[in-house]
Order: sequence, then structure tokens, then C-alpha cells
Amino acid sequence: MRKYVPKDNVQGKSYYTDRYWVAPRVPRSEVEDAHFASVVTALGDLAKETYVELGQLVVHIDATTNFAVLKTLKEKCGYTQCSEQSAVDYLAKDGEFELFYQLLNVNEAKRVRVVCRIKKGEAIESVQPLFKSANFAEREMFDMFGIKVNNHPFLKRIIMPDDWEGHPLLKTYPLFGDEFASWYEVDKIFGKEYRDIIGPENRDPAKVDRHDTKRFSRIGYEVPFGADISEGEKEQAVEYSETFLVNYNKKGSKQLDERK
Amino acid sequence: MAQHQVNYASSAGLPIALTSVDKLVNWGRSNSLWPLTYGLACCAIEMMASGASRYDFDRMGTIFRASPRQADVMILAGTLSKKHSEFARRLYDQMTEPKWVISMGSCANTGGMFNTYATVQGVDRIIPVDIYLPGCAPRPETLQYALMMLQKKIRKESADMKKNTKQDLTNQTGKRARLI
Amino acid sequence: MQVANKLTPFFENLNFERDDNTMVINFGPQHPSAHGQLRLVLELDGEQVVKAYPDIGYLHRGIEKMAENMTYNEFLPTTDRLDYIASTSNNYAYALAVEKLIGVEAPRRAQVIRTMLLELNRVISHLFFIATHALDVGAMSVFLYAFREREFAMDLMEDYCGARLTHSAVRIGGVPLDLPAGWLENIAAFCDKVDYEVEHTYEALLTENRIWKMRLEDVGVISAEDALNWGCTGPMLRGSGVKYDIRKEEPYELYSELDFDIPVSERCDSYGRYRLYMEEIRQSTRMIRQLIPMYAETEPQLMAHAPQYISATKEEIMTQNYALMQHFVLVTQGMRPPKGEVYVPTESPKGELGFYIKSEGEPYAYRLKCRAPSFFHTGLLQELLVGTYIADVVTIIGTTNIVFGEVDR
Repeated sequence: MRKYVPKDNVQGKSYYTDRYWVAPRVPRSEVEDAHFASVVTALGDLAKETYVELGQLVVHIDATTNFAVLKTLKEKCGYTQCSEQSAVDYLAKDGEFELFYQLLNVNEAKRVRVVCRIKKGEAIESVQPLFKSANFAEREMFDMFGIKVNNHPFLKRIIMPDDWEGHPLLKTYPLFGDEFASWYEVDKIFGKEYRDIIGPENRDPAKVDRHDTKRFSRIGYEVPFGADISEGEKEQAVEYSETFLVNYNKKGSKQLDERK
Repeated sequence: MAQHQVNYASSAGLPIALTSVDKLVNWGRSNSLWPLTYGLACCAIEMMASGASRYDFDRMGTIFRASPRQADVMILAGTLSKKHSEFARRLYDQMTEPKWVISMGSCANTGGMFNTYATVQGVDRIIPVDIYLPGCAPRPETLQYALMMLQKKIRKESADMKKNTKQDLTNQTGKRARLI
Repeated sequence: MQVANKLTPFFENLNFERDDNTMVINFGPQHPSAHGQLRLVLELDGEQVVKAYPDIGYLHRGIEKMAENMTYNEFLPTTDRLDYIASTSNNYAYALAVEKLIGVEAPRRAQVIRTMLLELNRVISHLFFIATHALDVGAMSVFLYAFREREFAMDLMEDYCGARLTHSAVRIGGVPLDLPAGWLENIAAFCDKVDYEVEHTYEALLTENRIWKMRLEDVGVISAEDALNWGCTGPMLRGSGVKYDIRKEEPYELYSELDFDIPVSERCDSYGRYRLYMEEIRQSTRMIRQLIPMYAETEPQLMAHAPQYISATKEEIMTQNYALMQHFVLVTQGMRPPKGEVYVPTESPKGELGFYIKSEGEPYAYRLKCRAPSFFHTGLLQELLVGTYIADVVTIIGTTNIVFGEVDR
């Protein structure tokens, strides 16, 4: 049986984790500061949970109320700049995305983070009428996560090419890209027929080919590309010596897959 | 004199005994390489620094030209993302013969440290490259050394472009890929 | 032969024939305006821009995704490549975010060195700004003069950390290296030279120059509310009259101890921003001069002492067993910060550079978002370019000081 690899989070994992390790939490404190307290009272019912973490107020809200909350913060509490806005993919853990808005009050020099959660397939309301910086930020969120935004003036892919398939920052998207990504430039420029001619990408940073004429510097001994520099040496498969592999019966064992 | 034989084959018919047309043409081509300004990322800053006051590029006769029709060499400096790859190939096709390509920096050579979904793993998947220049970012002196190596390479070429073989994967099947 | 029709237009000429006779041109991803890979689709009525659509993403390298697959220390050199003109500021913003998450503070000497490097990077970035901005507008000799000064600064950076452009001069918890001999004298000489050159070359050539003034005055005007609304920070915001500098308002490192002013321009146009950048160079050199004597009073400790997260010094690793073991674990597995999230804004030369890091207690970040100032400044171009002439488009792109490593990440 092949090893089970969970497909809902294909990002890299640490090679070793102590079973008994419990991660501590960043300390959260109650809202004591006068300004933050006034913000919490202004929000009233809309704020489900509030605390202060590392000097910034964090407000958890319901995703449907994001426009109302940001409007209150902008008009009543003076948070006139939305510095940052993005999402975190928790689909593997909870089946939800966690969105956050980072707001700045220029007069008081205080920052508030507004956090909400939406399920996969849900859309949220655009805050672009309030903060024009959301124009690009929401487009990027859509491009990277696939979270649709209602009433956005121009919701189109911004960072990936327009005909890209897949949303890159999802946890299910591999770092090296899926098959569409790995052949994208070849298909786009030359066509599918050239996939065999150009060959697959080399994603192995440790790949060493002794007879490679392309990328090794042989200053003074340059040859045209593809010329044979093996000097008659044939390519040999790596042979393991017996002392290295004990009880290795070459005939009795079967190669399941190629070394990638 | 009648006894003095002029070897027409080696000097292409000119009555100059030592200089051949090849050498003259290659001298002209190599000493006035005009690069296309193709700075993509951080290596572009080093390319600009190599063209600026301290490491002057102009002393080798290189003048940066913005239009591909007027450029000889395309110095791909920086990461080529997949979104941009189509335009890089288009600009390469628009350059007129004779043309050369220098791939500057690790991102252009092999994709560099960005082993991700959005980076072309090596510009030579798309464009035939003459000189690979390692570094992240390579020093301006390295770029000038690469240019001098390219000049050496050009001087060894024959003036008749058809004789020079170049690594162009798209040429192997006899069809030349063209973007309209 | 490709034939264009309404269903399949040519790539560049998105609308070949329009009823109102405007022309659509493509200010393509490769142009000599030295700012990187910005593609602007401009709709022109004669020479005036009617609509502008910035198309970005041509330098997208998947940096945020890389952060989810690498340990925190491994990711530090990748942050260099975000704003590749002033690399240490990105490294520092990331290191500060992780340090806040962990809860360690760098030792005093590391703070002095870091602040000096940050201000040196600010000078480097502003010199690059004036060089490329002047080159775009047409004053080509300023490019060569500014790069000459920049070479001195890059020599200083190379003396310190070995690299001219992509420094990685800052580590999580401090700095890896102490200053080499003679570095402080060199940087003092550099500060004097830059002050002299700013006054006698750049300002003498440009400030009262009739052509420069005509090209820059009343070009790229943005009001304070619009600037705040569009997410502008840093010189773009201060150029519109909003006096907000993170070094003063939310100080980090040694900025609360240093004596410096914040230049603010009420003019709201490119000329005001140009004067602001020149004044900021002067303030940076002023800060560096204050930091130079501070170095001698510090203890020679370069990295914070937090064995759970940060490796020991090299001497201890080579001699003490537990230091070696812990260093091994930290390098192979990576440090595990506490669970939680942090957003730390810093004042990079371009604006507010912030890192949002969400950690789940794993050695790899669960989510890393880089708040890049140039991203929002590029969004601002949609509104700023409307109504300007084609020549002003180049000026405005230059004055927003966008660098595409940050925009596309």
C-alpha cells in the first residue's frame, strides 16, 4: 500500500513533531485602553468577541455585518485607512476561511483588526465604497483564494494570468503548482505539441547531471549545446554496495516507482 | 606580382591578406552590442548599476535600447514569471537577427530560489540562451565579464548566420514557433 | 494571418474601433521607465488619459506560499527580494513581526546596528528614487550622480554583510555580524558626502529648475482624504499633508530615542513629494550621525538570548554541547512560535511595510501576508492618471515610487 498523503493540506510539514508538544498562545488581554473601550462601545452588538493582542484591538464579527462594522469604525471611531485585507485558509481544519481587515486610526495612531469567518462558497460584501484600497485587495483575495466579493466594481484576477485555473494560496494547491501550472508557459507560447520537446520542469534543486552542457561553467571549454562531453563514459545507474544495504536481494525486490 | 598567389577562398575575395570579412563583421558586432532593456526584478538594479557611473557599460559600446528592433542582445535580468513568459518570447521574436541572449541571475537561469507555481524554471525553456550568468544578484563586474565572454563567442562565429547553431528547442523539428 | 474582429480582438488593441474615437494603448510590461513590470492599459483622448487600468502580476513569484512551506529563518532571505532596492527594510519588518510574535527583544548593540542599516537603506532607496525619477522625466545626469552616491552606500553594505543588493543583514533576534573595523568612520564620511551632494548636486540641479518645476508641479495631485482612503502611506501620505510617520507614532527599534523631524508637504503634488524625499535623506543622515556614538556604549551582544527560539552565538555552539543540540533542532525543524497572529507595521522607504503572520505553533507559518505599500500605490494609479497627459503618466509612475517585487510578491 502506498503511503496515505492527506490532500486537504498539501503544504510542507516539519519532518518531526514532538507528540507531547503543546504550543503556547500569544497573550491576549482585556480591553482597558480608553480609546479601544470607546470603539467597543460604538460597535455594541456587532462585535462578537473583543480583546487586545500585542497592542492592537481584535474584533471578531459576523461576516454578514462587515460593511456595517467598517462603516461604524470609519465614521464614528476615526479609522480612516484600511491598511490590509486578506484571508486565511482554514478549510482543512474548520471548513471556513478567516478574513481579516487591518484598520488604522491616523489621529490616535491605533490599529484595529476586524476578523470574520465565512464558509466555502459564501461571498462577502465589498467594502470598496468605504475604503478604495479594497479595490485591489479584494481582487487579490479573490485571485488567491477564490472568495467571491459582492458589489465589487471589477472582480477579475489581478496577480495570476487571466486564464489561470486554480486559486494558488489555498492549502490544497501545491507549492510547485498542479499540472496546469507546470505546463502553462509551454502551452501558451508554443502549444501542447512542444511539451515533449521542451520537457518537464526541473523542480529538484539538487539534480546534478555530470554531462550537462547547459548550466555548468566550463570556461575555456565551451561547446555548443547538446554536444557530447561524456568522453565515452556511459550513464550508469547508482549501484549500492553490499555493506551499505544489508540483506538486499536485488532479484527478490521490485521497483515500485522511479526515483523522482 | 604573378608569383604572389592571393588565396581568394580565405579572404572572401578581398585583396587584404590578413583581415577576412568574418573578422571585420564580428568586430563590429561584438564591440557594439546594444542590449534590450529587459530588467525584470532585482538583477535589473544591478544591470542599471553596471550601466551607471562606476561600472560603466558604455565603454564596451553597449547602449541600452528600448525597442527590440534596435537591440542585439537581450539581457534577461530577473525572475521570469509565467504571466510574463509570453511577452518575453514575443520580444525575443521581434528582435532582428543577429541576436544573442544573456540570462542574468539565478532566477533567469533556473528559476532561482523561487521554486513555485508562478515562476518559469529557467528562461531557456522558452528562449535560447547563449551565456548563463550565475549570482543572486550578480555583481556588475560579473555582468561585464559575461558580456566580454559573449564578445569572445561572437568573434568565433562565422559571419554567415546560418552556420551558427544555437540551442533552440523549437528549431529541432524544423518548424519555427512564431507568435503573431 | 490573424484577423481581428469584435469577438477575437488583438491582444493589445482591446478595442480597435470605438465610437468616441479614443485610442487604447498598452504601456507594456517591458518599458524603459525602469520601474519594473507594470502594464498600463491607457485609453487616450488625444494626449489626455481618459481611463487607466493597471495590470500587475508580472513578477508574481509565490512568496507568500513559500512562507507556508519554509521555516521562519529559512524565509528571511526571501523577504530580501520584495523591495529589492532597500532589502534590509524588508528583512527587518519580517524579523520584527516574528520577534513580536515570539516576544523577544533584540539587544542594544543589535538595535543600534539595525537602526543604522535601516536609515542607510532609506538613503539608498531615496537615491534610487531620485535617479530613476529624474531619468524618466529627462534629467539623465542626475541618474549617474545618484548612482555614484549609491555605490558608496552599497560598498558600506557590502563591507558589513557581503552583499550589495540582497542583504539579509538582519536575523530574527538581532544581527548576525558585528560592524567591521573602520565602518563607522566610513559611514560618517558617507553621510557628509550625501549631505553635500543633496544640497549641491541634486537640489542645485533640480529644485529651481524651470523644466523640472513645469514637469512636476500640479502633477499627480492627491488630496489627504483620498490618500488615506486608497491606502497610501509613507511619502505619498506625507506629501499630501497628513503628518503620519510610523517611526514617530508607533516607534520601534531606537527611533524613540533619536532626534529627527518628519517632513510634510502641503502641496499634494509630485514637486512636494520630491522635496520631501530630499529632506528625508537629510533626516536619515542626521539620524545616522546620532547613532554612531551610541555604538561604543553598547555591550557586545548581537543576538537575543531566547534559547527556545534563537540559536546561541557561534562560539557557544562550537564549544557547548547543549547549544549545538539546540542549534541543530532550530535549523532542521525550525523554531515554533506561539499560536496567534501579529501585524507589525514599519516605515520602509516606500511607505508602510507590514507583515501579518498567523502562526499555529508549527515551524512553518500558517499564513504570511505582506502588506506592501507599492501595491496600494499602484491601485491609486487608476484614479491618479485620469485627466493627465501621456508625459505626466511617466512622472506619476515615478513619483509613486513603486517597486514590483512588492506589488506582485
